[in-house]
Amino acid sequence: MAYSDKVLDHYNNPRNVGSLDKKAANVGTGMVGAPECGDVMKLQIRVNDESGIIEDAKFKTFGCGSAIASSSLATEWLKGKTVDEALRIKNTDIVNELALPPVKIHCSVLAEDAIKAAISDYRTKQVASVSAKQPELVGQLVA
Amino acid sequence: MSSPDFYQFLGIPRRLALDPKELETRFYALSRKLHPDLFARKSAAEQAKALDDSALLNDAFRTLRDPIKRAEYVLKAEGFDIGEQSTKDVPAELLEEVFELNMALEELRMGDDDAREQLQISRSTFLNMRDGLDAETQAKFAEWDASDEKSVLSEIRALLNRRKYVTNLIEKANVPDRV
Repeated sequence: MAYSDKVLDHYNNPRNVGSLDKKAANVGTGMVGAPECGDVMKLQIRVNDESGIIEDAKFKTFGCGSAIASSSLATEWLKGKTVDEALRIKNTDIVNELALPPVKIHCSVLAEDAIKAAISDYRTKQVASVSAKQPELVGQLVA
Repeated sequence: MSSPDFYQFLGIPRRLALDPKELETRFYALSRKLHPDLFARKSAAEQAKALDDSALLNDAFRTLRDPIKRAEYVLKAEGFDIGEQSTKDVPAELLEEVFELNMALEELRMGDDDAREQLQISRSTFLNMRDGLDAETQAKFAEWDASDEKSVLSEIRALLNRRKYVTNLIEKANVPDRV
């Protein structure tokens, strides 16, 4: 099976490989995996406290070319978006952009799961840090 | 015709947590009864039957002696699919460990010998995990023996699946000292 040019490009020059400070309150980490094929994907976002915009995104993926390309593309798309906008990224967008064949669709699903996991981690931390400082605000934040 | 039930053939109760001694005793008793010498003067048909029974006895013993094979045997007989399964329910800590293992393997490939230490750690973590899974499985064996609940079998199914996965990771972390 041949990889598309876009997959090869991301595979050979992955964008945003690396990691962010996992402990920071404005960093969300998503760790997902498809153990049956040995793929593990870690995706992190750093959200600007004032603007609520994702100002940095990093990933590290162990897996096939499509899994690496999917997460690399995801980090590119995440930067500059608000958290809500980021949640609207669908795996099908990744499939279309990278021209992934049907057998590799699960790689894009993994990337979408990683985005969601990172955002959910970020939100959990935000609630935790707000509740530490201003407990009365928690209700509004969760709603 | 499907082969007869191993438990019935051996004449032991259908339990998952079975006593290895009891199994062994039954095996040796039946082995003696099926010994070819006892059939030397019998008809060809009886000799053939004894040979078939011996083969079945060996299969039954080898399968039931091993706790994992025994569980897989019972699961299959109860209608479970025991092939490789996708494990969507992998706990986050396990993924974390898999990630660390992959990082260490990558560093090692790039010539960083310090990664060996991490591999050792990973390996012992996975070995501990496997021990934990085995203990959990043993407990579930006893639970099924006592209750005969199908839901316990599907828990065992999930545990065996995770065990397979962890076993693969142990293999992966098993890197020779010097290349």
